[in-house]
Amino acid sequence: MTDPTPQTAANCGKKPIPVPVVKAHPLVDAEEPNLLTGTFPHDLPPLVRFCGKAVEFIDGEPVEFDFAAVKDRPIYVTDTTFRDGQQSRPPYTLDQMVHIYDLMSRLSGPQGVVRQTEFFLYTKNDRETLDRCRALGHTYPECTGWIRAVKGDFRLVREAGLRETGMLTSSSDYHIFQKLKFNSRRECMESYCEVVDAAFEAGVRPRCHFEDITRADIEGFVLPFAERLVRMSEQVPEELSAKVRLCDTMGFGLPFPGAELPRSIPKLIWKLNREVGIPSDRLEWHGHNDFHKVNVNGTTAWLYGCDFVNTTLFGFGERTGNPPMEGAIFDYIALKGGLCGIDTTVITELADYMRSIGLPIPDNYPFAGRAFNTTRAGIHAGGLRQDERIYNIFDTEALLNRPPRVAITDKSGADGVAHWVNEFFGLKGTERISKIKVHRLARWVVDQYDVEGRLTAISDQELEAKTRDLLPEYWEKHAAPGGSKS
Amino acid sequence: MATVEDRVKVVTGRILGVDPGEIRPEHSFTFDLGAESVQSIELVAAFEVEFGIEMDEDEALAVETVGSAVEFIAKVCREQGVEVEE
Repeated sequence: MTDPTPQTAANCGKKPIPVPVVKAHPLVDAEEPNLLTGTFPHDLPPLVRFCGKAVEFIDGEPVEFDFAAVKDRPIYVTDTTFRDGQQSRPPYTLDQMVHIYDLMSRLSGPQGVVRQTEFFLYTKNDRETLDRCRALGHTYPECTGWIRAVKGDFRLVREAGLRETGMLTSSSDYHIFQKLKFNSRRECMESYCEVVDAAFEAGVRPRCHFEDITRADIEGFVLPFAERLVRMSEQVPEELSAKVRLCDTMGFGLPFPGAELPRSIPKLIWKLNREVGIPSDRLEWHGHNDFHKVNVNGTTAWLYGCDFVNTTLFGFGERTGNPPMEGAIFDYIALKGGLCGIDTTVITELADYMRSIGLPIPDNYPFAGRAFNTTRAGIHAGGLRQDERIYNIFDTEALLNRPPRVAITDKSGADGVAHWVNEFFGLKGTERISKIKVHRLARWVVDQYDVEGRLTAISDQELEAKTRDLLPEYWEKHAAPGGSKS
Repeated sequence: MATVEDRVKVVTGRILGVDPGEIRPEHSFTFDLGAESVQSIELVAAFEVEFGIEMDEDEALAVETVGSAVEFIAKVCREQGVEVEE
């Protein structure tokens, strides 16, 4: 077995890091605020802006990466909600999958930012789902398949009429020897290549899933196998040439420069892209969240040369999950500097739908949890009324149909209660109810803490019930059938 | 009919839990009578019910003393055509 040489301080980089120079930083006084709206436009998520090139030392040599170029590169999101996403939960029903696919297409927008999704092909139900999704007529996400690296499985792909399928080509010795029981790497590679050949013969583009790549011998197996795929792809039409999905199966991937292989995402991508010559549009990153790095690892992959980042809705996926699609979407917008046709409000529809079919989304989950833009400690409605931007990450009402909320505690005051009631009823402008009119509810809140000795925040459900009891005239007007909230 | 001042004192006594006979026009709702934040809101709401008027929230909450409240409520009653004994 080839033992990858560890990159030590001695061989990892040649140029010494400059010693920081202490310098003076005089106050720049101002009478008008500088709200840095170039980076924080509020009608978009905060933009990711770069002020120079990044340097990574690879095999001891400095390599420059121009991250700003991502703005003009054709990067995309792909989806595995119905494949990896389903490995973490009971199966979706056929109707549920069709509805989710339909919503995903709306999210993707006319430019097809969510480019592809993948389906199992093994059961009648799998194939019927695929047919029903394709019958919707959406261009994006393109439906692709997922099969084992078994030649016979291409019959399924052919019968389904798919152009592309993912196939397992596990790359670490944990998988090659311990799981798949090959006698040697060569035997393993020959086996994989037979299946790739079968794909070519079937006129199907193979997407080779380099399973467990962040725990693999990169120089000893990954790169030689990737080179073999490049050579094989040269023999077939361009549209059939093999893609490579870098599968960080256990979430071991690291995003920061200086990390060594096989965990370094920058080095992995650079070697496949530049040393082996697999173009960016045939490289895809697939992560897992075992070490809480799943979203940033995906974005890192984009920056270092993968055009595709594979995701699932709300990160549902094997064990700790995959890159959350909504996280990738907001990073995409932040990198591109615009919505690119994406309908971000569909994220809220998808979250509501997922909850309605029994998939829990934690309340504090970014962009989609019930309380993701709810403010509590030391905050009150007066501040939000003055300038929403103080406590809201972006215009969540415009981008997600989710105005900022105030959680009600003993610190909320009548301002907070009035804000909650108005947001609950969805009242705007002169329609908004004054805090004088919600005094009974405000009193109930105060008594919860002063009289009842409560120590927890009051839930939306409790407030909703109390609003009905204590503000019946407003409930009747705004929440009952025919009211503004009905 | 009781005067505006008498009615203001009765309402104030009920909301803040003090004897109306002890309340003086110069008393501050907050510092002398001990009104907390939510009680200020309750006072304004109770005055609206007592006199059958609608008060501007910010103006009403800016009133600090019992005497000022009597004057403010009497003014609002006149503006809104509500007859009261001044």
